[in-house]
Amino acid sequence: MRWTKADTTQYLPEKQYIDTVLIPLIPFDPSSDQKMVKQAFQRELNQVFTTLIEREYRGRIFLAPDYSYIHDTNEKEIDRVNDWISRFKEQPFQHTFLFTFDSKWKKHEKDLNGHLIWVPGMQSGSIQSTETQSFVREQALQISELIQAYW
Amino acid sequence: MSDKKRVSRRQFLNYTLTGVGGFMAAGMLAPMVRFAIDPVLQTKESGGFKSVASIDEITNEPQRFEWTIDQVDGWYESEVQKTAWVYRNEKDEIIALSPVCTHLGCTVDWASNEEYPNQFFCPCHGGRYTKNGVNVPGTPPTAPLPMFEHKVEEGMLYLGEAKDRGGA
Repeated sequence: MRWTKADTTQYLPEKQYIDTVLIPLIPFDPSSDQKMVKQAFQRELNQVFTTLIEREYRGRIFLAPDYSYIHDTNEKEIDRVNDWISRFKEQPFQHTFLFTFDSKWKKHEKDLNGHLIWVPGMQSGSIQSTETQSFVREQALQISELIQAYW
Repeated sequence: MSDKKRVSRRQFLNYTLTGVGGFMAAGMLAPMVRFAIDPVLQTKESGGFKSVASIDEITNEPQRFEWTIDQVDGWYESEVQKTAWVYRNEKDEIIALSPVCTHLGCTVDWASNEEYPNQFFCPCHGGRYTKNGVNVPGTPPTAPLPMFEHKVEEGMLYLGEAKDRGGA
Protein backbone atom coordinates (compact mmCIF):
# COMPACT_ATOMS: atom_id res chain seq x y z
CA MET A 1 0.00 0.00 0.00
CA ARG A 2 1.12 3.53 -0.69
CA TRP A 3 0.12 6.93 0.46
CA THR A 4 -2.41 7.41 -2.33
CA LYS A 5 -6.16 7.82 -2.33
CA ALA A 6 -6.85 4.43 -3.86
CA ASP A 7 -4.54 2.54 -1.52
CA THR A 8 -5.54 4.29 1.67
CA THR A 9 -9.20 3.64 0.84
CA GLN A 10 -8.38 -0.02 0.44
CA TYR A 11 -6.26 0.00 3.57
CA LEU A 12 -8.89 1.19 6.06
CA PRO A 13 -11.28 -1.77 5.97
CA GLU A 14 -8.37 -4.24 5.78
CA LYS A 15 -6.31 -2.73 8.61
CA GLN A 16 -5.99 -6.00 10.46
CA TYR A 17 -3.95 -7.50 7.63
CA ILE A 18 -1.57 -4.64 6.96
CA ASP A 19 0.60 -4.50 10.03
CA THR A 20 3.93 -3.31 8.69
CA VAL A 21 5.03 0.18 7.79
CA LEU A 22 8.13 1.00 5.79
CA ILE A 23 9.52 4.52 6.09
CA PRO A 24 12.25 5.61 3.68
CA LEU A 25 14.76 7.95 5.36
CA ILE A 26 16.24 10.29 2.78
CA PRO A 27 19.02 12.78 3.56
CA PHE A 28 19.67 15.79 1.38
CA ASP A 29 21.64 18.99 1.50
CA PRO A 30 20.81 21.54 -1.16
CA SER A 31 23.65 23.83 -0.03
CA SER A 32 26.39 21.46 -1.06
CA ASP A 33 27.32 21.23 -4.74
CA GLN A 34 29.48 18.16 -4.36
CA LYS A 35 27.02 16.05 -2.41
CA MET A 36 23.99 16.95 -4.44
CA VAL A 37 24.40 14.41 -7.24
CA LYS A 38 25.21 11.57 -4.91
CA GLN A 39 22.28 12.34 -2.63
CA ALA A 40 19.88 12.65 -5.51
CA PHE A 41 21.04 9.30 -6.84
CA GLN A 42 20.61 7.66 -3.47
CA ARG A 43 17.15 9.07 -3.19
CA GLU A 44 16.25 7.56 -6.56
CA LEU A 45 17.78 4.26 -5.53
CA ASN A 46 15.86 4.36 -2.26
CA GLN A 47 12.62 4.86 -4.16
CA VAL A 48 13.36 1.98 -6.51
CA PHE A 49 14.02 -0.27 -3.53
CA THR A 50 10.97 0.64 -1.53
CA THR A 51 8.72 0.52 -4.59
CA LEU A 52 9.95 -2.97 -5.39
CA ILE A 53 9.37 -4.20 -1.84
CA GLU A 54 5.97 -2.54 -1.69
CA ARG A 55 4.89 -4.15 -4.95
CA GLU A 56 5.74 -7.66 -3.81
CA TYR A 57 4.17 -7.30 -0.37
CA ARG A 58 1.53 -4.65 -0.89
CA GLY A 59 -1.00 -6.64 1.09
CA ARG A 60 1.00 -6.40 4.26
CA ILE A 61 3.42 -3.48 3.93
CA PHE A 62 2.41 0.14 3.93
CA LEU A 63 4.94 2.43 2.30
CA ALA A 64 5.02 5.74 4.16
CA PRO A 65 5.74 9.05 2.46
CA ASP A 66 9.48 9.77 2.24
CA TYR A 67 11.01 11.08 5.41
CA SER A 68 13.40 13.77 4.20
CA TYR A 69 15.90 15.58 6.40
CA ILE A 70 19.00 17.70 6.06
CA HIS A 71 22.12 15.60 5.76
CA ASP A 72 24.13 15.11 8.96
CA THR A 73 21.47 16.29 11.37
CA ASN A 74 20.49 12.77 12.40
CA GLU A 75 20.70 13.43 16.12
CA LYS A 76 18.23 16.29 15.93
CA GLU A 77 15.90 14.20 13.80
CA ILE A 78 15.51 11.28 16.20
CA ASP A 79 12.52 12.78 17.97
CA ARG A 80 10.75 13.60 14.75
CA VAL A 81 11.30 10.08 13.37
CA ASN A 82 9.96 8.61 16.60
CA ASP A 83 6.97 10.90 16.36
CA TRP A 84 6.22 9.54 12.88
CA ILE A 85 6.54 6.02 14.20
CA SER A 86 4.26 6.59 17.17
CA ARG A 87 1.62 8.11 14.86
CA PHE A 88 1.76 5.07 12.62
CA LYS A 89 1.52 2.81 15.63
CA GLU A 90 -1.80 4.41 16.50
CA GLN A 91 -3.29 2.81 13.39
CA PRO A 92 -2.08 0.22 14.69
CA PHE A 93 0.98 -0.89 12.78
CA GLN A 94 2.93 -3.52 14.66
CA HIS A 95 6.19 -3.48 12.76
CA THR A 96 8.05 -0.39 11.70
CA PHE A 97 11.00 -0.53 9.35
CA LEU A 98 13.18 2.43 8.48
CA PHE A 99 14.95 2.05 5.17
CA THR A 100 18.03 4.15 4.50
CA PHE A 101 21.44 4.35 2.82
CA ASP A 102 22.61 6.87 5.41
CA SER A 103 25.09 5.04 7.66
CA LYS A 104 24.92 7.80 10.27
CA TRP A 105 21.66 6.33 11.56
CA LYS A 106 23.45 3.18 12.65
CA LYS A 107 24.93 4.99 15.64
CA HIS A 108 21.49 6.12 16.80
CA GLU A 109 19.75 2.84 16.09
CA LYS A 110 18.94 2.13 19.75
CA ASP A 111 17.13 5.46 20.12
CA LEU A 112 14.81 4.76 17.20
CA ASN A 113 11.53 3.02 17.89
CA GLY A 114 11.62 1.03 14.67
CA HIS A 115 13.83 -1.53 12.99
CA LEU A 116 16.55 0.24 11.06
CA ILE A 117 17.47 -1.33 7.75
CA TRP A 118 20.68 0.29 6.65
CA VAL A 119 21.99 -0.89 3.33
CA PRO A 120 25.32 0.19 1.92
CA GLY A 121 24.07 1.78 -1.26
CA MET A 122 25.82 2.54 -4.47
CA GLN A 123 27.89 5.69 -4.62
CA SER A 124 27.38 6.29 -8.28
CA GLY A 125 26.08 4.57 -11.34
CA SER A 126 23.03 4.73 -13.46
CA ILE A 127 19.58 3.84 -12.25
CA GLN A 128 18.87 2.28 -15.65
CA SER A 129 21.94 0.08 -15.89
CA THR A 130 21.53 -3.68 -15.67
CA GLU A 131 24.19 -3.71 -12.96
CA THR A 132 22.07 -1.48 -10.74
CA GLN A 133 18.95 -3.46 -11.54
CA SER A 134 20.44 -6.78 -10.53
CA PHE A 135 21.93 -5.18 -7.41
CA VAL A 136 18.54 -3.81 -6.40
CA ARG A 137 16.73 -7.06 -7.11
CA GLU A 138 19.20 -9.14 -5.18
CA GLN A 139 19.19 -6.81 -2.18
CA ALA A 140 15.43 -6.28 -2.19
CA LEU A 141 14.91 -10.02 -2.03
CA GLN A 142 17.10 -10.28 1.03
CA ILE A 143 15.50 -7.28 2.68
CA SER A 144 12.07 -8.79 2.23
CA GLU A 145 13.35 -12.00 3.80
CA LEU A 146 14.55 -9.93 6.74
CA ILE A 147 11.14 -8.28 7.04
CA GLN A 148 9.37 -11.63 6.82
CA ALA A 149 11.46 -12.90 9.71
CA TYR A 150 9.66 -10.39 11.96
CA TRP A 151 6.17 -11.51 10.91
CA MET B 1 -12.18 9.89 -90.71
CA SER B 2 -10.95 12.64 -88.56
CA ASP B 3 -14.53 13.90 -88.48
CA LYS B 4 -15.71 10.82 -86.63
CA LYS B 5 -13.28 11.29 -83.81
CA ARG B 6 -14.07 14.88 -83.40
CA VAL B 7 -15.62 15.75 -80.05
CA SER B 8 -18.29 18.34 -80.31
CA ARG B 9 -18.38 21.32 -77.98
CA ARG B 10 -21.55 19.94 -76.39
CA GLN B 11 -19.97 16.55 -75.79
CA PHE B 12 -16.82 18.11 -74.41
CA LEU B 13 -18.76 20.17 -71.91
CA ASN B 14 -20.83 17.14 -70.95
CA TYR B 15 -17.78 15.04 -70.24
CA THR B 16 -16.08 17.78 -68.24
CA LEU B 17 -19.14 18.51 -66.15
CA THR B 18 -19.78 14.85 -65.40
CA GLY B 19 -16.15 14.39 -64.49
CA VAL B 20 -15.97 17.39 -62.17
CA GLY B 21 -19.40 16.63 -60.69
CA GLY B 22 -18.39 13.05 -60.09
CA PHE B 23 -15.28 14.15 -58.30
CA MET B 24 -17.21 16.50 -56.06
CA ALA B 25 -19.83 13.87 -55.28
CA ALA B 26 -17.13 11.34 -54.46
CA GLY B 27 -15.35 13.88 -52.28
CA MET B 28 -18.53 14.43 -50.29
CA LEU B 29 -19.58 10.82 -50.12
CA ALA B 30 -16.27 9.25 -49.17
CA PRO B 31 -16.14 10.63 -45.61
CA MET B 32 -19.83 9.84 -45.12
CA VAL B 33 -19.32 6.24 -46.15
CA ARG B 34 -16.29 6.10 -43.90
CA PHE B 35 -18.35 7.29 -40.95
CA ALA B 36 -21.00 4.72 -41.68
CA ILE B 37 -18.69 1.74 -41.84
CA ASP B 38 -16.18 3.07 -39.32
CA PRO B 39 -16.44 0.20 -36.83
CA VAL B 40 -15.43 -2.21 -39.59
CA LEU B 41 -12.36 -0.22 -40.52
CA GLN B 42 -11.14 0.23 -36.98
CA THR B 43 -7.88 -1.61 -36.52
CA LYS B 44 -8.46 -4.20 -33.90
CA GLU B 45 -6.25 -3.48 -30.89
CA SER B 46 -4.67 -6.86 -30.39
CA GLY B 47 -5.63 -6.76 -26.71
CA GLY B 48 -2.07 -5.70 -25.95
CA PHE B 49 -0.60 -9.14 -26.47
CA LYS B 50 3.08 -9.22 -25.68
CA SER B 51 5.63 -11.85 -26.48
CA VAL B 52 6.75 -13.36 -23.21
CA ALA B 53 8.69 -16.54 -23.78
CA SER B 54 9.53 -19.24 -26.26
CA ILE B 55 7.17 -22.19 -25.85
CA ASP B 56 10.14 -24.54 -25.52
CA GLU B 57 10.90 -22.98 -22.17
CA ILE B 58 7.53 -23.90 -20.72
CA THR B 59 7.58 -27.00 -18.57
CA ASN B 60 5.13 -28.78 -16.33
CA GLU B 61 6.52 -26.88 -13.38
CA PRO B 62 5.27 -23.28 -13.07
CA GLN B 63 7.97 -20.78 -13.99
CA ARG B 64 8.02 -17.08 -13.47
CA PHE B 65 8.17 -14.92 -16.59
CA GLU B 66 8.43 -11.17 -16.69
CA TRP B 67 7.69 -8.62 -19.39
CA THR B 68 6.86 -4.95 -19.58
CA ILE B 69 3.91 -3.07 -21.02
CA ASP B 70 3.29 0.62 -21.56
CA GLN B 71 0.48 1.76 -19.37
CA VAL B 72 -1.31 5.07 -19.65
CA ASP B 73 -3.03 6.31 -16.50
CA GLY B 74 -4.73 9.56 -17.41
CA TRP B 75 -1.81 11.74 -18.51
CA TYR B 76 0.78 9.63 -16.81
CA GLU B 77 2.49 7.14 -19.06
CA SER B 78 4.67 4.51 -17.54
CA GLU B 79 6.31 1.21 -18.20
CA VAL B 80 4.81 -1.43 -15.99
CA GLN B 81 6.39 -4.72 -15.26
CA LYS B 82 4.11 -7.72 -15.48
CA THR B 83 4.72 -11.18 -14.17
CA ALA B 84 3.09 -14.52 -14.80
CA TRP B 85 3.44 -18.08 -13.63
CA VAL B 86 3.40 -20.26 -16.73
CA TYR B 87 3.26 -24.04 -17.08
CA ARG B 88 1.71 -26.87 -19.11
CA ASN B 89 -1.03 -28.85 -17.47
CA GLU B 90 -1.74 -32.58 -17.88
CA LYS B 91 -3.68 -31.94 -21.08
CA ASP B 92 -0.65 -30.12 -22.50
CA GLU B 93 -2.47 -26.81 -22.41
CA ILE B 94 -0.50 -23.71 -21.50
CA ILE B 95 -1.70 -22.06 -18.30
CA ALA B 96 -0.56 -18.54 -17.43
CA LEU B 97 -1.56 -17.31 -14.00
CA SER B 98 -1.30 -13.83 -12.59
CA PRO B 99 0.90 -13.81 -9.47
CA VAL B 100 -1.21 -11.16 -7.76
CA CYS B 101 -2.90 -12.57 -4.66
CA THR B 102 -6.64 -11.97 -4.79
CA HIS B 103 -6.64 -11.15 -1.11
CA LEU B 104 -4.70 -7.87 -0.92
CA GLY B 105 -2.41 -7.94 -3.91
CA CYS B 106 0.86 -9.43 -2.72
CA THR B 107 2.93 -11.49 -5.12
CA VAL B 108 2.52 -15.23 -4.72
CA ASP B 109 5.32 -17.74 -5.15
CA TRP B 110 5.23 -21.29 -6.42
CA ALA B 111 6.19 -23.90 -3.84
CA SER B 112 7.95 -21.37 -1.62
CA ASN B 113 6.55 -22.93 1.54
CA GLU B 114 8.04 -26.29 2.41
CA GLU B 115 4.80 -27.55 3.89
CA TYR B 116 2.93 -27.01 0.64
CA PRO B 117 5.32 -28.02 -2.15
CA ASN B 118 2.59 -28.18 -4.80
CA GLN B 119 0.80 -24.94 -4.18
CA PHE B 120 1.16 -21.25 -4.79
CA PHE B 121 1.91 -19.54 -1.51
CA CYS B 122 1.38 -15.91 -0.56
CA PRO B 123 4.03 -14.74 1.92
CA CYS B 124 1.87 -11.98 3.36
CA HIS B 125 -0.94 -13.86 5.06
CA GLY B 126 -0.35 -17.46 4.12
CA GLY B 127 -2.89 -17.55 1.30
CA ARG B 128 -2.61 -20.70 -0.80
CA TYR B 129 -3.70 -21.74 -4.28
CA THR B 130 -3.59 -25.12 -5.95
CA LYS B 131 -1.56 -25.56 -9.13
CA ASN B 132 -4.48 -24.51 -11.32
CA GLY B 133 -4.74 -21.27 -9.36
CA VAL B 134 -7.83 -22.07 -7.31
CA ASN B 135 -7.70 -20.69 -3.78
CA VAL B 136 -7.51 -23.21 -0.97
CA PRO B 137 -10.57 -22.80 1.29
CA GLY B 138 -9.75 -21.65 4.78
CA THR B 139 -6.94 -19.34 3.65
CA PRO B 140 -7.49 -15.56 3.26
CA PRO B 141 -8.00 -15.31 -0.55
CA THR B 142 -11.60 -15.53 -1.71
CA ALA B 143 -11.10 -15.93 -5.46
CA PRO B 144 -8.83 -17.92 -7.79
CA LEU B 145 -5.76 -16.29 -9.33
CA PRO B 146 -6.65 -14.44 -12.55
CA MET B 147 -5.60 -16.21 -15.73
CA PHE B 148 -3.87 -14.45 -18.63
CA GLU B 149 -5.30 -14.68 -22.13
CA HIS B 150 -2.67 -16.33 -24.25
CA LYS B 151 -1.87 -17.26 -27.81
CA VAL B 152 1.00 -19.02 -29.48
CA GLU B 153 2.50 -17.66 -32.67
CA GLU B 154 5.65 -18.90 -34.36
CA GLY B 155 6.83 -20.72 -31.29
CA MET B 156 6.42 -17.72 -29.02
CA LEU B 157 3.96 -17.38 -26.19
CA TYR B 158 2.01 -14.13 -26.18
CA LEU B 159 0.12 -12.99 -23.10
CA GLY B 160 -2.66 -10.44 -22.97
CA GLU B 161 -5.00 -9.32 -20.25
CA ALA B 162 -5.46 -11.13 -16.97
CA LYS B 163 -9.06 -12.24 -16.58
CA ASP B 164 -10.75 -12.65 -13.23
CA ARG B 165 -12.33 -16.01 -12.72
CA GLY B 166 -14.85 -14.92 -10.12
CA GLY B 167 -15.18 -15.83 -6.48
CA ALA B 168 -15.25 -19.47 -5.51
